[in-house]
Amino acid sequence: MTGFGDRILGLGLLVLAVAYGWAAQQWPEPFGGAEGVGPETFPTILSVVLVAGSLYLMIKPDPDARWPVGKSALELLVSVLVLVVYALLLEPLGFVIATTLAVGTLSWRMGAAPKRAFLTGLGSAVVVFVLFNYGLSLSLPAGLLEVH
Amino acid sequence: METLGFLMEGFAVALTPYNLMFALFGAFVGTLIGCLPGLGPANGVAILIPLAFTLGLPPETAMILLTAVYAGAMYGGRISSILLNIPGDEPAMMTCLDGYPMARKGRAADALAVSAIASFSGGLIGTIGLIMLAPVLARFALTFGPAEYFALFLLAFATLGGITGKNPMKTVIAAALGIMISTVGIDISTGTQRYTFGVLELYEGIDFILAIVGLFAISELLFFVEHRMGEGREKMQVGKLSLSLKELVTTIPTQLRGGILGFISGVLPGAGASLGSFISYTLEKQVVGKKGRFGEGDIRGVVAPEAGNNGASSGALVPMLTLGVPGSGTTAVLLAMLISLNITPGPLMFTQNADIVWGVIAALLIGNVLLLVLNIPLVGFFVRLLSVPPMYLLPIVTMVAFVGIYSISHSTFDLYFMIAFGIAGYFLRKLEIPLVPIILGLLLGPEMEKNLGHALVLSDGDWSILWGSPLAIGLWTVAGLGLVLPYLVGPLLRRRMNAAIKESPVSD
Repeated sequence: MTGFGDRILGLGLLVLAVAYGWAAQQWPEPFGGAEGVGPETFPTILSVVLVAGSLYLMIKPDPDARWPVGKSALELLVSVLVLVVYALLLEPLGFVIATTLAVGTLSWRMGAAPKRAFLTGLGSAVVVFVLFNYGLSLSLPAGLLEVH
Repeated sequence: METLGFLMEGFAVALTPYNLMFALFGAFVGTLIGCLPGLGPANGVAILIPLAFTLGLPPETAMILLTAVYAGAMYGGRISSILLNIPGDEPAMMTCLDGYPMARKGRAADALAVSAIASFSGGLIGTIGLIMLAPVLARFALTFGPAEYFALFLLAFATLGGITGKNPMKTVIAAALGIMISTVGIDISTGTQRYTFGVLELYEGIDFILAIVGLFAISELLFFVEHRMGEGREKMQVGKLSLSLKELVTTIPTQLRGGILGFISGVLPGAGASLGSFISYTLEKQVVGKKGRFGEGDIRGVVAPEAGNNGASSGALVPMLTLGVPGSGTTAVLLAMLISLNITPGPLMFTQNADIVWGVIAALLIGNVLLLVLNIPLVGFFVRLLSVPPMYLLPIVTMVAFVGIYSISHSTFDLYFMIAFGIAGYFLRKLEIPLVPIILGLLLGPEMEKNLGHALVLSDGDWSILWGSPLAIGLWTVAGLGLVLPYLVGPLLRRRMNAAIKESPVSD
């Protein structure tokens, strides 16, 4: 079936639009009574627009894009995971170590030789760390490498 | 003559050594961003915003830096067009047509030099146009009431997809999503909490800077991962410069035509730099006629689109500075910087923040000169950087984006948010939902709601005020046309642009 992607997106957006519009109706009336425009007016208009847009998508979807399958999809998942882990480890491990690992893994997965990839990671991490901490005096977390 | 006085004051701002240094830095970084495939101007400027922010730059310096980056990116786009036959950014697409054949004939150095000069004159013409048109438009815009502004914002969204846009309905959806995100947080006029779900980090709303960086930078990385374009491509040798002064002089009319056409399409809503370079190229082909050898490395085929896209990039600043309504992705990102500096964009900026506006305009003029000076001798350096394969470059760019966002708030919560926006951006791009209207929605959403509220207070709740004046009706009409025209004219124009690219013998 063609246009599958757009139809699913349309359905998702429809749910979002209805939930968004419904939530807007639940807010208590602001202090001082109702005026021409309350906090719910604008969101209500938006939800109507989005409902119309999502219905259009479901009725007249564009042809599907080519979605990554198998290995590419896995690579994408790995990349996203690397980013999340990077954000997670940035403070405990410190900027230099976390960045070396993150940049290294990403370039390695994008096709660089592992050794060069991690060296690039280390190099860029050290340069940015020195530049930020000493050049611009913006402190990045030192983490494990902190000098006590 | 009043304008000239303001311009002189602008030069006084832009020529301080501190600002000049940042303009030079911006021009350099901008060229770099422009010439690296996979790092577009909007993306590049977006990554620099957090840095400009954390450095605590004064507003005029921050704006000068980013405008210089913007101008520089337009220069840089041509380098990879000529040497790799891949446009460094979208407007540089037309430069491939004759630039790459010139490089294949061993005239790469000439193509690079002449396109730098064409970029300069295009940028210069565009900036002069900006100086003449902007104050007039700003004065006119002072007559706008809240209802007109509301209609104007709608117009901006409706024309953002451009005449060549594919599916206007997707632009509408994207804009609605963006505005919806902007409503998260505490409502300014009543104090009602909207869509915060009790999460403390959401009370102040979603910071559009991290949304922009996530949507652009992270989704770009994911696209590269998917397409395995990490290797980079083979490039042409540059060789010696053999351009004669006489040949250069013969291209002057082309430069003028290209620059003026580019500027006009930059100012007009819905046109933009890509169309600017396309029109300049096509017109040049028609003017020169059979005498030219377009598509086989005609020098005028390099000059016209380059003058066109640089003229358009200055032209695109006109609506952004005077109305607060950007017409392109990169100017939207520049607007984001203005808003985060607490400057209300729009006509009042010309009176209240004259030093910033005119400082930026003067910086554009200076930036163009700097760029020309940078680009001719340093071209070899930029060419060498082109051979850095994206597999090293993109992870580093992503890391810089992380650092920028982290250094604003020192909170990892923001980083997760940015990643989430990146993933959403990837899916939306896959589904051909354009990202720029989302960003514009994020930026303009609060203003739109405020103006709607003001208009309805003025009219005592009567909605017909929104189309109550001739000006407002005019704006609504143009907005309507902006949504309908792509259906009528779009397929035709797109076919022509594709045909022009296919015609060239080297479109491999």
